[in-house]
Amino acid sequence: MTMPTPRQAELQAASRPKNAYRLSSIGFVAPSVLLVAVVLYLPFIWTTYISFTEYNGLGDPTWVGLENYREMFADPEFLTSIRNTLFWVVGTIALPVGLGLLIATLTHGMPRATWFRLPFLIPYAVSGVAVGVIWSFVLQTNGALSQALEFLHLPGSELRWLLDGPLNTFVMIGASTWQGAGVNALLFGIGLQSIPKEPIEAARVDGASGFTLFRTMTWPMLAPLTTVVVGLAIVGSLKTFDVIWGMTKGGPGRVSETLALTMFKETFVNNSYGLGAAVALFLTVVTVLASILYLRRQLADSRGA
Amino acid sequence: MRSRTTTGLALLTGAALALSACSGGDDPEPGDGGSGGGNGDDGSSAEVTLDFFTDKAAWEPSFEDMNTASDGLAPQLSFTGYSDPTAYDAFIKQSFRTDERPDLFTWHTGDRLGELVEQGLVAETTDIWDQAIADGYVSEDLAANYTYDGKQYCVPLNVVYWVIYYNQAVFDEHGLDVPSTWEEFTAVADTLVDAGVVPLHQMNIIFEFVWFQAILAGMDPEAYDGLSDGSVSYTDPTVVEAMETWHQMQSDGYFIDPGVTTDPQTLLQTGETAMAYFGTFFTGQLTDLGMVSGEDYGMFVLPSVDPGLADTPVVVETGPLCVGTDSENEQAALDYSAWWMGTDAQSAWSDSRGDVSFNPNATVTDEALAEITAQVTGDGYQQLRRYLEATPTPIYTVAAEEFGAFVTNNDDPMGHLEAIQAEADAHWADQG
Repeated sequence: MTMPTPRQAELQAASRPKNAYRLSSIGFVAPSVLLVAVVLYLPFIWTTYISFTEYNGLGDPTWVGLENYREMFADPEFLTSIRNTLFWVVGTIALPVGLGLLIATLTHGMPRATWFRLPFLIPYAVSGVAVGVIWSFVLQTNGALSQALEFLHLPGSELRWLLDGPLNTFVMIGASTWQGAGVNALLFGIGLQSIPKEPIEAARVDGASGFTLFRTMTWPMLAPLTTVVVGLAIVGSLKTFDVIWGMTKGGPGRVSETLALTMFKETFVNNSYGLGAAVALFLTVVTVLASILYLRRQLADSRGA
Repeated sequence: MRSRTTTGLALLTGAALALSACSGGDDPEPGDGGSGGGNGDDGSSAEVTLDFFTDKAAWEPSFEDMNTASDGLAPQLSFTGYSDPTAYDAFIKQSFRTDERPDLFTWHTGDRLGELVEQGLVAETTDIWDQAIADGYVSEDLAANYTYDGKQYCVPLNVVYWVIYYNQAVFDEHGLDVPSTWEEFTAVADTLVDAGVVPLHQMNIIFEFVWFQAILAGMDPEAYDGLSDGSVSYTDPTVVEAMETWHQMQSDGYFIDPGVTTDPQTLLQTGETAMAYFGTFFTGQLTDLGMVSGEDYGMFVLPSVDPGLADTPVVVETGPLCVGTDSENEQAALDYSAWWMGTDAQSAWSDSRGDVSFNPNATVTDEALAEITAQVTGDGYQQLRRYLEATPTPIYTVAAEEFGAFVTNNDDPMGHLEAIQAEADAHWADQG
């Protein structure tokens, strides 16, 4: 056994507290890591595994390889589901986000602006399923909307709002807009308030006003907040479930299903846990990819600017 | 030294958290509803409280009444009710992956029960059935719903006969009598259509299959039965004829617009629809609206479409009450199942629910229901399983979608039948 040199002994002494500190850090972090692993990573890994099996929730899953994915993409109704999900993404960005921006911009700087924004915010307090139930009363055949249109001698009273696709998807996006526009208006309102006044004033002095002022000054300065609002809208719309479940349950047949509904119905209604897991994984990949692509582009743009 | 103590403390905390997370439920807790007594092997099952789970949360008061009825005679139930059937099914399935198997739970007949039987998750009840049939508590016909490879599993929680409910005031107003033949039935519907009243209710979700069931069963009960085992194709002439009949009835304005989502009981109460084809559970929903049986509404068995049928087909739906294999109180739960099928228990149940019973000796308080029960369990009637339970799940899934679309659009029936048959072909090919 060789004795450590004085230099080595010094180094060992210096590293001891560091190692102990590291160990204690691991100890403190371990419960959280364990929690994340158990409630997030483990279900994801399990779902991925199940997607390659045939499984009805009882007994043991049977490995079937890529069969669930083959079946999923071969099903024309799955393609309808993807199409409807795309409608939801585009519709949600155009309507609840667009309308929210419009409300925030028009009311910005107005005296007692809160009183104009508040009514738009109230539906946000209602759950998605309740929104679905309320709107299905309005939109059912001979419901409130059809009766109102007929009374006012306006066209459209004969339309079967919730029965024909993709019309039913469009009106459900409308119902979702009723609920979601207010909170977007609130977020944009906060964004508008945080914009420094000086550059805007400078632009006004230079002669900019109205839409030109908004396009050239306000909109670029709102960009960081817009990134967040649109990002949340993309993710939210990709996993839309509650409003549709409350209004059409994805029907009639499967014409108004979105990916989230397909996932739920295959798993819990049809008992095809494997196929449901395959749809879940597909939806996860799409959501993550869309978020990454969008955020990377937006963040690159803002860095470039 | 201090850092070593901190490290030790942190690791211990982590380990304690992990251990506490993994250690739930092994030790019986005082006051735990499911461990209130012995396992029944000592003959004292009446002292036991069973963990009972159901997706019929709204029926809790009736199960409380049953606890009063079983007091001192059979185990008590510790009730856990789910109001979302989908969440309930997932919960029950998950529970079989744990040590906390339910003593007693409600489930579905057909494929869903078959899955549990296949996995050995529900206790066999052949002895209970043999005794109940010998005692005249239940018919052998009903046992078919609970039989797998010649053995019975679970006992019937309830039984439902599918009949036509009608609004008495609407019938009186238009001078209509209860029809006894299909011709009279269509004549009633035509009269109502001419008078601007919608004759019949139907839905494009949940119960979208019921008119297919009613018409095909009334036209050719053997063909209806044959669909459930693959011996008959959805594109066979009889099935096509049944769909064409349904198609014609929709074209003739017999049914309410499927876009109307108002509750069927409300539509019948207001007279917006004159009749509704529903299970006898519908009586409870009409009673909740304050409608009185025999005064505000009546019911009749839908006449056979084919007048040449010797027996009128009546669709029967039944839901099981099951005992979990190796559950903590398995024997006591089986004792409860045996008690449940008896006349006293069924009279108490029928009285509390205001519903029919599978036990013909039970007293049914609602006169109209009692009459219907006597009628359909007597001569001249043939009981058939409801389409949902009689059809393998993958085929039913596609059929429900196709019938939903057909009810909505009333388009060419053939495309829908071909789509269902394509799924049926795939299913039966898989079964070898």
